[in-house]
Amino acid sequence: MAGNPDHLFSLRNNFYLGSYQVAINNSDIPHLSADDAVERDCLVYRSYIALGSYQLVISEIDSSAATPLQAVKLLALYLSNPQDKESTVSSLKELLADPAIGNNAILRLIAGTVFMHEEDYNEALKHTNAGGTMELHALNVQIFIKIHRSDYAERQLRVMQQIDEDHTLTQLANAWLNLAVGGSKIQEAYLIFQDFSEKYPMTGLILNGKAVCCMHTGNFDEAETLLLESLNKDAKDPETLANLVVCSLHLGKSSSRYLSQLKLAHPEHILVKRASSAEDSFERAVQSVA
Amino acid sequence: MLTKFETKSNRVKGLSFHTKRPWILASLHSGVIQLWDYRMGTLIDRFDEHDGPVRGVHFHMSQPLFVSGGDDYKIKVWNYKLHRCVFTLLGHLDYIRTVQFHHENPWIVSASDDQTIRIWNWQSRTCISVLTGHNHYVMCASFHPKEDLVVSASLDQTIRVWDISSLNKKTASPADDILRLSQMNTDLFGGVDAVVKYVLEGHDRGVNWAAFHPTLPLIVSGADDRQLKLWRMNETKAWEVDTFRGHTNNVSCVMFHSKLDIIVSNSEDKSIRVWDVTKRTGLQTFRREHDRFWILAVHPEMNVFAAGHDSGMVVFKLERERPAFAVSGNSLFYVKDRFLRYYDFSTQKETQVIPIRRPGSTSLNQSPRTLSYSPTENAVLVCSDLDGGSYELYVIPKDSTGRGDSLQEAKKGLGSSAIFVARNRFAVLDKSNNQVLIKNLKNEVVKKSGLPIPTDAVFYAGTGNLLCRSEDRVVMFDLQQRLVLGDLHTPLVKYAVWSNDMESVALLSKHTIIIADKKLVHQCTLHETIRVKSGAWDDNGVFIYTTLNHIKYCLPNGDCGIIQTLEVPVYMTKVSGNNIFCLDRDGKIKTIVIDGTEYIFKLCLLRKRYDQVMSMIRNSQLCGEAVIAYLQQKGFPEVALHFVKDEKTRFNLAIESGNIQIAVASAKEIDDKDHWYRLGVEALRQGNAGIVEYAYQRTKNFERLSFLYLVTGNLEKLSKMLKIAEVKNDVMGQFHNALYLGDVREHVKILENAGHLPLAYVTASVHGLQDVAERLAAELGDDVPPLPEGKKPSLLMPPTPVACGGDWPLLRVMKGIFEGGLDSIGRGGADEEEEGAEGDWGEDLDMVDVDGLQNGDVAAILEDGEVAEENEDEDEGGWDLEDLELPVEAETPKVSANARSSVFVAPTPGMPVSQIWTQKSSLAADHAAAGNFDTAMRLLSRQLGIRNFAPLKSMFLDLHTGSHSYLRAFSSAPVVSLAIERGWSESGSPNVRCPPALVFNFSQLDEKLKAGYKATTTGKFTEALRLFLSILHTIPLIVVESRREVDEVKELIIIAKEYVLGLQMELKRREMKDNPVRQQELAAYFTHCNLQLPHLRLALLNAMTVCYKAKNLATAANFARRLLETNPTNENQAKTARQVLQAAERNMTDAAQLNYDFRNPFVTCGATYVPIYRGQKDVSCPYCTTRFLPSQEGQLCTVCDLAVVGADASGLLCSPSQIR
Repeated sequence: MAGNPDHLFSLRNNFYLGSYQVAINNSDIPHLSADDAVERDCLVYRSYIALGSYQLVISEIDSSAATPLQAVKLLALYLSNPQDKESTVSSLKELLADPAIGNNAILRLIAGTVFMHEEDYNEALKHTNAGGTMELHALNVQIFIKIHRSDYAERQLRVMQQIDEDHTLTQLANAWLNLAVGGSKIQEAYLIFQDFSEKYPMTGLILNGKAVCCMHTGNFDEAETLLLESLNKDAKDPETLANLVVCSLHLGKSSSRYLSQLKLAHPEHILVKRASSAEDSFERAVQSVA
Repeated sequence: MLTKFETKSNRVKGLSFHTKRPWILASLHSGVIQLWDYRMGTLIDRFDEHDGPVRGVHFHMSQPLFVSGGDDYKIKVWNYKLHRCVFTLLGHLDYIRTVQFHHENPWIVSASDDQTIRIWNWQSRTCISVLTGHNHYVMCASFHPKEDLVVSASLDQTIRVWDISSLNKKTASPADDILRLSQMNTDLFGGVDAVVKYVLEGHDRGVNWAAFHPTLPLIVSGADDRQLKLWRMNETKAWEVDTFRGHTNNVSCVMFHSKLDIIVSNSEDKSIRVWDVTKRTGLQTFRREHDRFWILAVHPEMNVFAAGHDSGMVVFKLERERPAFAVSGNSLFYVKDRFLRYYDFSTQKETQVIPIRRPGSTSLNQSPRTLSYSPTENAVLVCSDLDGGSYELYVIPKDSTGRGDSLQEAKKGLGSSAIFVARNRFAVLDKSNNQVLIKNLKNEVVKKSGLPIPTDAVFYAGTGNLLCRSEDRVVMFDLQQRLVLGDLHTPLVKYAVWSNDMESVALLSKHTIIIADKKLVHQCTLHETIRVKSGAWDDNGVFIYTTLNHIKYCLPNGDCGIIQTLEVPVYMTKVSGNNIFCLDRDGKIKTIVIDGTEYIFKLCLLRKRYDQVMSMIRNSQLCGEAVIAYLQQKGFPEVALHFVKDEKTRFNLAIESGNIQIAVASAKEIDDKDHWYRLGVEALRQGNAGIVEYAYQRTKNFERLSFLYLVTGNLEKLSKMLKIAEVKNDVMGQFHNALYLGDVREHVKILENAGHLPLAYVTASVHGLQDVAERLAAELGDDVPPLPEGKKPSLLMPPTPVACGGDWPLLRVMKGIFEGGLDSIGRGGADEEEEGAEGDWGEDLDMVDVDGLQNGDVAAILEDGEVAEENEDEDEGGWDLEDLELPVEAETPKVSANARSSVFVAPTPGMPVSQIWTQKSSLAADHAAAGNFDTAMRLLSRQLGIRNFAPLKSMFLDLHTGSHSYLRAFSSAPVVSLAIERGWSESGSPNVRCPPALVFNFSQLDEKLKAGYKATTTGKFTEALRLFLSILHTIPLIVVESRREVDEVKELIIIAKEYVLGLQMELKRREMKDNPVRQQELAAYFTHCNLQLPHLRLALLNAMTVCYKAKNLATAANFARRLLETNPTNENQAKTARQVLQAAERNMTDAAQLNYDFRNPFVTCGATYVPIYRGQKDVSCPYCTTRFLPSQEGQLCTVCDLAVVGADASGLLCSPSQIR
């Protein structure tokens, strides 16, 4: 804990909390070391990916760039081109197999993310479980939540808390886990998001987090207010729309507007997928019961 | 020791505090008596009549008097209001050591080196008693504060207590002549009315001072043996209790604290010492470098002391009196005695929260100094100076109102300041290593962070930030980034007060207030001559603060002023509207109501809220020289204009603000030359020719007027001026005007009339007026002057002005400043400003507005377009995603296979929450929410015999969709979906899954039922049918908690069913226009559905009408009778029914036979709509319980459209309480 200031702190924070554009806009930080500069570039490109500007990332990162950036490019390729996932995955595996660079934290992080998308959680964990950076730990927490193993997630969280309890990612991961296990923990999750909203500018991510907490505590009215605030910030944010669909349903309001917006803008969103698969399974169930 | 005030002077031998005012008298070795205001630090007066040192001085309790005694053997009584000595008491034969007024009687006691103590009556100005007995100098003598006792100390090593009660009797009944006679005798013989009660012996050297305890029977004394002694006395005797050793030279004075169990003494060893009476130990010692101490004084009411020494005096406090407090939103936490207390600003209630540890009085100033509160965790940090700075962390229990006396075991630690920096984090300053420790609520160190500057205190600066203070600056430090966010040079900051929105901070120093923004950018600095005590921000961003004796305000631009004066210092906690909440020194909450008009007015001006300014001007009595001066000084003369009644001031302000109109009005009122002139100058400056002309006319300033006409090209007026000049016989004016007009003939005429014939001649001949020239030449005769040669003469005509007449167009800046505020209010002055010239300007503004509007429209259109686009096709998204629903078992082998290939063994996936739901519940809704539609359907089929699920599809899908929320976790990673559970409670334990939250609930159905009723009443049957059907379709997927609610749900099914059936029949009836019999039958059956009374009436009315029209009078009569039985509230209905009844009575027959026997109870078949009379066979719908003819068995129920008629079913299951 030496006293030298952490130049990338606010950049990272903005990225984690979903202020991607702010992160990009404020990325011009002077006097960075080479490593920091690479990390900065990674964060910037990942922000672009989060904003959906895949092509920009793909075209800006050339083959001479550092490994982490290559990994980021792969992520952009993977997300931009759903038809050609296999080739991206195979080149990713190639990189991972290279002993010289296979252990790079960003590479492993991207691998974890990609394999999560592939729903191959086992493969994802293979690369991420060793941890090493807060981001990897946070990803682990998310994977464990995804496979409904909150006990493992909790262990990961504890590791993070030992490293830095006040780290934004630790707090976030804590909130995710609290939401996943439910019960009294939901209030704690709410407080974490509340802290963020007091400390940093409001983002869709924070608002959604708060809204989800409200929904889980049965407070759908407040959730709606928060979600509408988030919708004001970004009218096409998939999570906001999805949560608004859910929230409207619970409030007995029409959700069709949000649903069609979501279907249009994000046909791959998990809510859309769930809805359409539910329709199929309904038909199937009708057949089987009849 | 907290020094409040110090003076430098000759040796101070006597001191006395004023009871009420912040004054102290100091008598000096030089013979001067000084009167100081120790709060303001000013010398009020000096009294110099004694010859030689003055050793004793004392204020009277209530009168404006004080007494002094000096080495000139004189006792002088002074009136400080009259600034003079009133009289002198003579009698002592040596130096006088002390003098003191009695608290009630008009007495003075004095002690002298002549070995006597004397008691004087200052009203009769006589000595009433001489107390003899000491056989050396008497060093001090004083009355007991309540009883008839005097204590004296002498260099004869004794202390004497004198009983003066007989003296009291003597003055109490002066009318008693006999007594007086005897008194005279006793007086003559040396006075027996004061007798020695006790002689206290114990000191080994001369005793310098002895003093009574204010309430207890105790005496304390100090002597040249360097010791203090504590004595106790009762009715009969007095004895030595204890000795305090410590002083290293003669003890000069010693006193009890007026409230605490403390003794303060001072000595020639240059120290003041504080002692604990009960523990008999020394608490503190304060030393001076070179000065021996001679005298002490204790304030009778307040916690203030004074000590006199060789080169002046010092006024000091032993303990801080500021109660520790913390404000958070509407709550105030503060420490009083040994309790943490809570005060709610909104309800104005205070409660005792928890007891906190109170340090024993082992040393002073150890009580809590600051508080920091975390509202979410309800935790309080109490900091004190104990152990060189330490904190205690208390967590307030939830039921905080408990007046439990038990002390909570607080978490403690060392550190000079401790404050919360986040909800569950606090920072503790570790001064020695110049770092802060970040700790959690368990008092564990979470993080350490070095500080950017040598810091001796930290203050709150928003979440995650610290305000670090060093001697000459403060620094805002971000704990996470370890970055300095702001840096400001300040005098030593004592307190930081943040505004409610955390945008501004006020840094309070001893005599300075600095306002800065949240990045510590300096906004303004205020200097006070006396101490700044506290402050708080009001809701408008004005900083309200208190000094020792004022409540003041500070506007954002640094303007400040006094709101009101204060009697005693208070510590402000919050400003809410006109209420100021504060704590006083006793820890009591006080509310002070202030008049904030002045600062709000100034604030409005500052923020250019002229509309508010105007309304304040009109509604309140603000007008005053000060306000006008302020307005003028701040550049708002046009606002000041509206205050002023005095025309001259008004005129000046109008000129200053360039408001010609008002200036004209005022000038008219004043009507003197000077003002008209100034008006003219200003009008000329503005190019307002009309007013200039008017002003010149009023002042009869013809020359200027002519010139004005010349420059404005007004030749007509100019020639008029010529005439006026002629009338007035003003030759020069005439000539000028003629010159301006270029009128040569006139010119010549004037010259001629004035007797300048040669000039007239030359002019005439030069300008070619030959006839005149000749006439003049004739007149002149020989004296004809020669004409100028070689030059070609021409008439000098004034050029035509570029702008002819009219006023110059003015840019109306004024309007801009006032932003319409004044205009809308419609004051005369403002209205007058509306003049033609600015028309164009106004229009320009409008143009801008129009543009803005257009843009807005465009945006709106664009938006509409977008929405339309987004809505265009909704039927996309036929994504086939079966793999999402992969059963868990299927994945397991794969996982284990992979696991073998890597070192890391990944955990097997856990059970999704939705799966837990289906396992735990046998409610169809829970299964549907979990997405297990087939099991849900099976359940419904088994419980309610439902076979047709098509109407339930949307409910199923909504339940499923509504069962999860979505959380964007890690960027670019897939979204996490989280199961929403119902019945959440704060105490719910984590990891215990509750059933899913459902999108349908019973209250929604209630709403629908009401809507259905309403639609029925208004005759919207299709709409009503839709609503009742949707109730029927939702109920299978409803979940309620209690048994009682289950019954309500079941009732609701019946209600909905009755309505659905009835409405279906009614709609059917309307379709069958050509079958009157069937129509009548259906109308009749409708009346037998179980409807709400108003609806039943309508159905009956309907059936009655239908039957009456079809001449089925008997049946119609029956409906009419039934209708009347319901006591219809609508008189029309009753009337019609009675008419039908009358008509039917004449002819009780039916034209057509109906399948309807109202005497025989029946239900209607839900499919065929025929009556099933009691006793007939029927089958029913297992869900909605509609009855059917047996032939309908196996068919889909036509009422609910869900279940199969006559199917087996176990019954509605809609609550977990039914299963338990």
